Amino acid sequence: MGASRVVIIKSPGVFAASGTPDPAVVARMFARGLALLTGEGAGVRAAAALFRSSDRVGIKVNTIGGKALSTRPEVAHALAAWLAENALEERNIVIWDRTARELREAGYAPGPGRPGVRVLGTDADGVGYETGLVSHLDVGSLFSRILTEYTTASISLAILKDHGLAGVTAGMKNYFGAIHNPNKYHDDRCDPFVAQVFDAPPVKSRHRLTVVDALSVQFHRGPSYHARWAAKPGTLLFSVDPVAADSVGWALIERLRADAGLPSLEAEGRSPGYLATAEKMGLGRSAAAAIETIEETLS
Amino acid sequence: MNRRSFLRRAAGAGLAVGTGLPALCARLAAQPGRPNLSRVEARYYVKLPDREIECRLCPRLCRLGDKERGYCGVRENQGGVYYTLVYGKACSLNVDPIEKKPFFHVLPGTTALSMATAGCNVNCKFCQNWEISQVRAEQVEHFDLPPEAAAAKAVSSGCPSIAYTYSEPTVFFEYMYDTALLARRRGVRSLVVTGGHINPEPLADLLAVVDAVKVDLKGFTEGFYKAYVRGALKPVLEAIRTVAKSEAWLEIVYLVIPTLNDRPEDIREMARWVGNEAGVDVPLHFSRFHPMYLVKNLPPTPLSTLEAARETALGQGLRFVYIGNVPGHEAESTYCPGCGQAVIKRIGYSIEAVRLKKGKCASCGTAIPGIWA
Repeated sequence: MGASRVVIIKSPGVFAASGTPDPAVVARMFARGLALLTGEGAGVRAAAALFRSSDRVGIKVNTIGGKALSTRPEVAHALAAWLAENALEERNIVIWDRTARELREAGYAPGPGRPGVRVLGTDADGVGYETGLVSHLDVGSLFSRILTEYTTASISLAILKDHGLAGVTAGMKNYFGAIHNPNKYHDDRCDPFVAQVFDAPPVKSRHRLTVVDALSVQFHRGPSYHARWAAKPGTLLFSVDPVAADSVGWALIERLRADAGLPSLEAEGRSPGYLATAEKMGLGRSAAAAIETIEETLS
Repeated sequence: MNRRSFLRRAAGAGLAVGTGLPALCARLAAQPGRPNLSRVEARYYVKLPDREIECRLCPRLCRLGDKERGYCGVRENQGGVYYTLVYGKACSLNVDPIEKKPFFHVLPGTTALSMATAGCNVNCKFCQNWEISQVRAEQVEHFDLPPEAAAAKAVSSGCPSIAYTYSEPTVFFEYMYDTALLARRRGVRSLVVTGGHINPEPLADLLAVVDAVKVDLKGFTEGFYKAYVRGALKPVLEAIRTVAKSEAWLEIVYLVIPTLNDRPEDIREMARWVGNEAGVDVPLHFSRFHPMYLVKNLPPTPLSTLEAARETALGQGLRFVYIGNVPGHEAESTYCPGCGQAVIKRIGYSIEAVRLKKGKCASCGTAIPGIWA
């Protein structure tokens, strides 16, 4: 088996003077990142390598952290725009998370009935969770109907954070927001639950791409926002291997911690062991030697 | 039924609000905006630096950052203050026979106003009420039922007791406590049906305002508790000891699940422990398992297993050992340990005969422990 590819796109100038990401720069980061990931220079071909034109794609964002520490709307909408430009009809793209309230608090404008890309919370009228309980290994959950009924393909677009229990929260753990009972799966550093939720058919059968929003990163005392332990690496990570993407995200958190003089997660007894579990389950590669990173900085 | 009519029915009749799963799931999304949750500061937590808190209500000791919610799904850190989201927010309300809880030595033949909110601090794979216990506060339809209204409802419904049941009342501690306090002033007793995952301090406070506690002892090995309950045995045993030493009446239920917690040596050890640590007068109910939730691959408990467990417990000196979920079985009835006569004859939840006089066997005068009036 060849190495899993993770593309790292940095842009020191991604943040505008206002402190928010510049949508034009973010769009360039997506175009370049997805080109390098797929090996296809043209956007249409890159998109075709990942999605069918008939796909209905869900972009699962993580908005539990409020405006300061959620997947940024500028990032999610730039990805949606790239998909719409290269592969899909806008009406077949949905940006989603657990609740409309959390989406609003993170800066999104959720609501039904608008043309174009939809932004939707699972708690929207007429949505909700599946009535059938999915029992998979140690997990028993109801899955969001946005995932199971509205989408045929899924992108995990999570913000990168230190997590007091899990060690790291990124693309895989983002799918905790697709189930009704994530609070039940934080024992034992979320291991094996993160891997098992991902491995459950509603997720595994749809997941196509992980993009980790590391424009801003909480590298300590997450998952809540603490300004003094937040950095702005201005980075996006891309991979079709969900384990590799999160492993590279973990390495980035460790670098930021080391730069700040903090002990490693391992030293704190908080390594994200669920990544090794995920590798054992065949979900991807976690060892650095098995991951090919391609790094590029956009001016 | 839409949300408005649901609430109207709940507030009006106030009873028989069930939890049918398909309807529940369809309604999980039916509360636009911020759901109708409470924001009452929780008890038993400590504030930590950086807006973190540590919950001290149950042995989990959830340590939570801002905006995070505890394992129970109904208590949330909001800006460094910990709140219960379900204070006065009942999701189930029924008038049940007290035998259904089950309490067999408390006011037989009466009804208990039985109430619950969402949430639980464990995750039993065989949960009978997972539709309300294993969901977050906003994921189940609920209605406003403040403590005073609950106490009044018990009186108007002719219930001499309120049972905090169905889900795990520990997670709605503040609501239960205040309701029990007000109910007592009205002469209404409070009965707690719990898994026993509660820390000593809140348990001691609770025991000062309630009258009886039924603990679901779900197994007798730590391995079983970790694998099938997502909890721990040790704090449950500690809670049982504490209740047994208190003024509150104690009963214990042991759901016997084929191949998982039915080893005869474990049953024997458990019965011996109950006799030694809680007392031989504590009623022990061996209850029949039915496939449910995440354990659907096992058959209902064979009657022979239940009967063998009962014989084992009687052999360990326990004086009141019952078989539950087997309507019509002779072991549903209470027998006088003095003369062997049936002092309370039960069929299912029905009382066929009571032969007690002031808490004593009408035949031989042996005292039968319990709350009889």
